[in-house]
Amino acid sequence: MPNFHRKLERSAIGFVVAIIVVSSIGGFVEIAPLFTIDETVEKAPDMRVYTPLELAGRNIYVREGCYACHSQMIRTLRDEVERYGPYSLAVESQYDHPMLWGSKRTGPDLARIGGKYSDAWQVAHLRNPRDVVPVSVMPAYRWLEDNTLRTEDLGLHLKAMSRVGVPYTQAMIDNATNDAYGQANPDSNFAAGVVERYGEATNIRAFDGEPGRVTEMDALVAYLQILGKLTNAATAANVAIKE
Amino acid sequence: MIAGLTKGERQLSLAVLTVLALCGLAFAAIGHDDPIGTHGFIILLVAIGLACVVIAGYYAPEPDKEQLSRYYDDPTRAGIVLAMAWAVFGLFFGVWVAALLAWPELTFDAAWSSFGRIRPVHTTGVIFGFGGNALIATSLHVLQRTTRARLPDQFSPWFVLIGYNLFCVLAVSGYFMGLTQSKEYAEAEWYADIWLVIVWVVYFLIYIRTLQRRKEPHIYVANWYYMAFILVVAILHIVNNLAVPVSFGHAKSYSLFSGVQDAMTQWWYGHNAVAFFLTAGFLGMMYYYLPKRAGRPIFSYRLSIISFWGIVFMYMWAGSHHLHYTALPQWVQTLGMTFSVILLVPSWASAGNALATLNGAWGKVRDDATLRFMMVAAVFYGLSTFEGSFMAIRAVNSLSHYTDWTIGHVHAGALGWVAMISFGSIYALVPWMWKRERMYSSKLIEVHFWLALAGTVVYVFSMWNSGIIQGLMWRTYNESGTLAYSFVDSLVAMHPYYIARTFGGLLFLLGALVGCYNIWMTIRQAGGRVVLQGPDVDEPALAPIALQAGE
Amino acid sequence: MDLDHQTVVGLAKSWGLIYLLVLAVGVLAYTFWPKNKKRFDRAKESILDKDDKPWN
Repeated sequence: MPNFHRKLERSAIGFVVAIIVVSSIGGFVEIAPLFTIDETVEKAPDMRVYTPLELAGRNIYVREGCYACHSQMIRTLRDEVERYGPYSLAVESQYDHPMLWGSKRTGPDLARIGGKYSDAWQVAHLRNPRDVVPVSVMPAYRWLEDNTLRTEDLGLHLKAMSRVGVPYTQAMIDNATNDAYGQANPDSNFAAGVVERYGEATNIRAFDGEPGRVTEMDALVAYLQILGKLTNAATAANVAIKE
Repeated sequence: MIAGLTKGERQLSLAVLTVLALCGLAFAAIGHDDPIGTHGFIILLVAIGLACVVIAGYYAPEPDKEQLSRYYDDPTRAGIVLAMAWAVFGLFFGVWVAALLAWPELTFDAAWSSFGRIRPVHTTGVIFGFGGNALIATSLHVLQRTTRARLPDQFSPWFVLIGYNLFCVLAVSGYFMGLTQSKEYAEAEWYADIWLVIVWVVYFLIYIRTLQRRKEPHIYVANWYYMAFILVVAILHIVNNLAVPVSFGHAKSYSLFSGVQDAMTQWWYGHNAVAFFLTAGFLGMMYYYLPKRAGRPIFSYRLSIISFWGIVFMYMWAGSHHLHYTALPQWVQTLGMTFSVILLVPSWASAGNALATLNGAWGKVRDDATLRFMMVAAVFYGLSTFEGSFMAIRAVNSLSHYTDWTIGHVHAGALGWVAMISFGSIYALVPWMWKRERMYSSKLIEVHFWLALAGTVVYVFSMWNSGIIQGLMWRTYNESGTLAYSFVDSLVAMHPYYIARTFGGLLFLLGALVGCYNIWMTIRQAGGRVVLQGPDVDEPALAPIALQAGE
Repeated sequence: MDLDHQTVVGLAKSWGLIYLLVLAVGVLAYTFWPKNKKRFDRAKESILDKDDKPWN
């Protein structure tokens, strides 16, 4: 034994291998099975993917670092379920590349924020949170309304998402830019295509209150309004508290 | 800087900088309508600027044989200066980001200064900017002294140091522009991540090449920790950052993993970044500089070996304690919790080993603020590892998770342990590196010490309070069986603590500024170089004649 | 092999435990092997030696 370790140490390479082997085991045992066992992720046949506009909104959510203060993971604890809604299931974030479970609640959890407030409230709140919640410490995101959303490359975004495993069809990828416009402009010719590709239940509205131009505010509000709404798995499972 | 390089290395530098400049140019061209274009310009400018420096010194005389037979410390000196600069930068943004939670309008209505963007600027600035540079600088010093061998060449340490700082600059400037992968402590985008891998491989090669040239048969334990830091951080970084870019002209990428797998990978990374970046590396620092400064060998070398393997083995299991009660399968949560609790053993073995080393030298600890920095660091290391194991217990975690308690815990470790051991080591190292008898002012070290300690205590206590209050308010029911407080109620209750923590952070920042001044004055000190002979204050030696085995 | 929950738990309880114990015994044996004492004592004193130049 001592000779073995001495050799290990003498040839620094052996030492390197030892560190890698000893340290890798924990991660391997914990992570590898998550990709294979069925129990990790439940089935949700009704689940739909993010529309291009919602995906763009999600990217703004990421860009502004919203995840630093808002979690999207309701734990299996009574008070959390009563405060935020049914606890989060793994399947609900199966298309989230990356996941935005978060680690800190400086603000409340957002896993089920979709549909809780009107678009107008969300817009006013993002414009200046203190207009609607006087004691809020959230930053004001006034520029979101002014910035036109970059939509011409959304097809590439959907394509990258499909490369990592999200089931976007070729039609979705090809029409991404138009679909983003159509979802924020219910009266336009492009609105019908969104319904056709993403389903009847898709929110098609002028999210920022102004049809015509598609702004970053449109995208972010579209994303917020879909949070927790991509599947009914969590409510359908008649969630009772596990413990 | 250039004078230390051989002719061949100067040519190699120019070649590498040309390649770098071309990469920058390519990004600038392909990504002209995307933030990646801005990064292309930054890379291009850095490469051109450095090439100018190399060309300006190109015809300087080459280092002679005598110079090449000594230790190569230029990169260490530069690393110390960079570490202190990043410390001030990172701590300043820390104070700012803390202030935003008390006074949310302090963003001046700009996008780049909103909380979500400058928070990663703070974390990356302090962890990677300050911590990383301190680790690189000290590791190159410790490596040479403990192996009794000079670094294998002069080019690669500069490549590592400058390349690493370029990564930090790309990361931080990206956050201001809103470029982030949203993975905590791994926010930098795909091209910066690839660049870091290249830098890291060269760093590893420096280590392994020097170890193979070593004159001392045994590898001193500090190097084990530095090696574990380099190796495991590489594994973590590569796996966690696997992603598919939207295109080569886009900075944005999509993580390869999603949902629960992504969460587990992220926190396997996140927790082990704490373990192998913020713990293993700094333990390496502690195992060298603390005994050296105290003038006493480490209390138990054997204990240091046992705790090394314990830490290397067990930390990798602990990441899932970040995901208690979530959609992660319960057996993974339980595994993480169990190992987190057992981790207390090797952690306290290390902390105890450090404190026992000082047993018998308490007089020195009292008189010498540099040594006291290291002592307090060991105490905070013990405290925060205990707290960490405690918080990993599911029941405790149900209260503490998502609250400021976690922030308090992290800062007890980051300010109390990581920053204090770094400051202590840097104060020990600066006079050796610049051949001064001692630091410019030991009074100022004393001032820095008390500012740092007071800042840490104020910060940690306010976050403990706010975190526990928050956790309790969220789960309090009133008599009718409904939740007693709205979320906003808990937010209002946090306000005084957010002010207190900003103040604590400010004290810590002031301390770092005092430290910078002191180091600067030491470097500039009138009287110039004092070449030290024989035993002296800063370079304690038990056996004046080298090679005496201490039986 | 079917890597379901049961298999993983089985592995952890058998091989995982053996691996953990073997590793622990190995590290302890190395650490406390009497012949190594000299090396360790030398190592811990060695950093306090004068170190102004690399050895040749």
